[in-house]
Amino acid sequence: MVLLVSTASATLGLALLTAANGPFNRAFAAQRGADAAVAVNSGRVTTAQLTATRRAAGVTAAAGPFSAATVTLSSKGVSLPSSLLVGRASPGGPLDDLTLVSGHWPQRPDQIVLSAGDGFFPGIGSRMTVTTAPGKPHLTVVGIANSITNTADAWVLPSEISALRPAKAPATAEMLYRFASASSNNQLRGDVAAISAALPAGAVGGFSSWLSARQQATGNSAILAPFVEAFALIGLFMSVLIVANVVTGAVVASYRRIGVLKSVGFSPAQVVSAYVARVGVPAVAGCVIGVAAGNLLAIPVLHKSAASFGVGSQSVPVWVNVVTPVAMCALVALTALGPALRAGRLSAVQAIALGHAPRQGRGYTMHRVASRLRLPRPVSIGLAAPFARPARTAGTLAAIMFGVTAVVFAVGLNTTLARAETGQNLAATAPVQVSLASANGWQPGTSRDRAIIAALRSQPGTLRYVAAAQTELSAGALARQVNAEVFDGNAAWLGFDLISGRWYSGPRQVVVNTAYLNQTGLTVGQSTTMSTGTRSVTARIVGQVFVPGNQPALLTSVQTLGGTSASLALDEYLVGLRPGVTPSSYVGALNHALGGGYYVSGPDGGQFYLIADSLIAMLTLMMAVVAGLGVLNTVLLGTRDRVHDLGVFKAVGMTPRQTIAMVLCWVVGPAVVAAVIAIPLGMVLRSATADAMARAAYTALPASFQAVYRPAEIVLLALSGLVIAGVGALLPASWAARARTATALRAE
Amino acid sequence: MDALIRVDDVSKRYDNNGPFAVEHVSLDIAAGEAVAIMGPSGSGKSTLLNLIAGLDRPTTGTVAVAGQRIDSLSETGLAKYRRQRVGMIFQFFNLLDDLTVADNVLLPAQLAGLSRASARRRADELLERLKISDHRQAYPARLSGGERQRVAIARALVNSPELLLADEPTGALDTATGEEIGRLLLELNQAGQSMIMVTHNPDLALRYAGRTIEIVDGRLAQDTAGAGARP
Repeated sequence: MVLLVSTASATLGLALLTAANGPFNRAFAAQRGADAAVAVNSGRVTTAQLTATRRAAGVTAAAGPFSAATVTLSSKGVSLPSSLLVGRASPGGPLDDLTLVSGHWPQRPDQIVLSAGDGFFPGIGSRMTVTTAPGKPHLTVVGIANSITNTADAWVLPSEISALRPAKAPATAEMLYRFASASSNNQLRGDVAAISAALPAGAVGGFSSWLSARQQATGNSAILAPFVEAFALIGLFMSVLIVANVVTGAVVASYRRIGVLKSVGFSPAQVVSAYVARVGVPAVAGCVIGVAAGNLLAIPVLHKSAASFGVGSQSVPVWVNVVTPVAMCALVALTALGPALRAGRLSAVQAIALGHAPRQGRGYTMHRVASRLRLPRPVSIGLAAPFARPARTAGTLAAIMFGVTAVVFAVGLNTTLARAETGQNLAATAPVQVSLASANGWQPGTSRDRAIIAALRSQPGTLRYVAAAQTELSAGALARQVNAEVFDGNAAWLGFDLISGRWYSGPRQVVVNTAYLNQTGLTVGQSTTMSTGTRSVTARIVGQVFVPGNQPALLTSVQTLGGTSASLALDEYLVGLRPGVTPSSYVGALNHALGGGYYVSGPDGGQFYLIADSLIAMLTLMMAVVAGLGVLNTVLLGTRDRVHDLGVFKAVGMTPRQTIAMVLCWVVGPAVVAAVIAIPLGMVLRSATADAMARAAYTALPASFQAVYRPAEIVLLALSGLVIAGVGALLPASWAARARTATALRAE
Repeated sequence: MDALIRVDDVSKRYDNNGPFAVEHVSLDIAAGEAVAIMGPSGSGKSTLLNLIAGLDRPTTGTVAVAGQRIDSLSETGLAKYRRQRVGMIFQFFNLLDDLTVADNVLLPAQLAGLSRASARRRADELLERLKISDHRQAYPARLSGGERQRVAIARALVNSPELLLADEPTGALDTATGEEIGRLLLELNQAGQSMIMVTHNPDLALRYAGRTIEIVDGRLAQDTAGAGARP
């Protein structure tokens, strides 16, 4: 069983390590991703002309044309931003092989499959309305699919597109291409230009590239990789330690048997090989079953991992299924070989005597000390027992330590991620956002703006609100544009997490993210000069804000950029709610008050954080279970080792309950020591992993993201060691309590 | 006279298709008796002793000690019965190697919840009486066979049991030491301790037991105290 559990854990660990390493590139190859998805005006080009572009210079593969339309979908009264709807007869194909995450492909005209990349997941079977199509038809969601390069927001049968296209909208289509050279944006632009030149003028619109999709997915995977790797390494170390400890103990426990083999004529070499084989046969069986179990365990974990990396699907690589059992069997052979060689060198009498004789001197002192403690005798005997078998105890301690480390690490990381998520989506302070359904901006003071403000003021749940505009600025020597979020009104209440400095308190003050500081070389307190295109503004950087990503970002007030003369179009209102008001009820009420044409959204859980959280929970549970099983195995070995002593205890009057208490106490001491080691270890691992994740996200972390452990929490985390140890030891303790006394006394 | 131990038509087999280790055995043992159970190897004498000690359960039949049915007790009940009413002595001593002589002797008293002071007084008294008080802090591995058996006897007596059960108490000892132990047991019986001893040594049985029961192939073959045997 030890090999089964440890091999399963190692398989999962290696699979995770592989999954975290370059997931996008491997998935892009596996799913035959398209280098470019090109929008085409169907009215200016024939299907034959588009098909002929497969033979254009530089094109290595093509798919399409797929009819397409830009629509607005709504579900339960909530409108989504404009969505690209593409007609495809099936998810497979020579390019852009879609992965069905759940459900099935449309089989009827009124069915739709949504893209997993959008993060909007109404349930399978829910109804969506195409609000921009004539008659506002309804479609039933029958599946969620993943395109590695997000070539569409949703798919329907090809015959449906014309009916779902907005009235008077031009007929469009999508062509997918692979090119001989597509490793840079310049190359892709050249490739698409060549296709455009081969088609009538005006046939080709824009295109989306695989490089953008990779950047987004790689960003996520780079952030996730450190914690996935940390869990994988914990699992691997735990597996190796448990196997080594248990196998060594099993061989040492069989010295008497080895002595008997020698006494009937086995040579030392025969003894060694017989013994390694004896341990090896069940080990091989355990490894084979363990690989299968590891693959089964990996299914839900890799499903989450794939979703978080945005790659549709991941599986356990073939080499992991081969290398893991081979490595585990090699480990068994190595750890069995040492004691087996030793036994082979002993005479038969010595081997039998070693198997029989009491172990001299170990644990005597602790037993004497324990006998003086004013504790029930089974408890004091149990507490002292681990000192008689220090190597076995070290194995138990290591299993518990890894389990507690995983728990401490996971709890702290979860808190850090929760704070990062809250900091990013402002769910705690501004859980509701209001914008236009058309995704266009609007000017302050216009009828639309007044309508939104009136609706906000009419809602009793409204606590406060602020208008926000997204714009791009040039800044200093930066080659790329800076994303700026500009607020018209008091925005301090939004509670952006600050890494250093403070929020701006007046005009000519800005807060920027870490990428901005790193790329400009500026620090908090220095001035920066920005250009809106029409005017140049110099402001002081008063704070560094937590906005992850390698895109420089800046937050400031409308006044800093010139007030109303800046002619900034507002993009949304951010709304804070009164205590006790739920976002879902507020969104429904505000939608009703505003009517059509507006998009009111509740807190966005953020697919990345949701999946990261469930991945952490799943992995932590698995690590704790593996640790508990490690404890179970070592305690089981211990009860088998001491079965005769257990018989003596029961013969002189130890009740079953006292036996259970004694065996449970075997692990109490190691659990306490394990917790003392594991808590700081888990904290350091969390800190290092959080820092690595932050670096991958091109940001530093606010101090509040690092101070995540409260004293009461630390005590509870320490107790998790006792829980893991107690749960692991309970089954062998029960078996020991139920063992027949007469049978136990006859055991040697 | 009311029997201290009443074994009533007891049979024991270890698997459903196997032979009986003990078959249809009935006997009464009075308080204060010293009884030797004899028989060839594999005759079932240790099995019978285990059934009386509550270390095992009969397949059929009943076992009562001091009026209490022990065959129907739970595991907890049997443990309490053993610690309160029975003292066990084994052929290979069955001492705990990690505990000192004193701690070995104290163990049944501690499991029974006796106060520390009472338990220590009782243990000291027994160690003195059995002439092993000099070894109280020693570990069993360092003692001779005779000394270990004395420790085992002290452990068996620490809770003042009604019944002392000894399974081949001299089987692992040399002749001289065996005789020492035999005399010790005789002294205990003469002081009123009820005792059942399993032995294959007829000389031991003759010298140190007042009654001999012979078991052959699991069945009661002979009982020298006719009044106490029931067919």
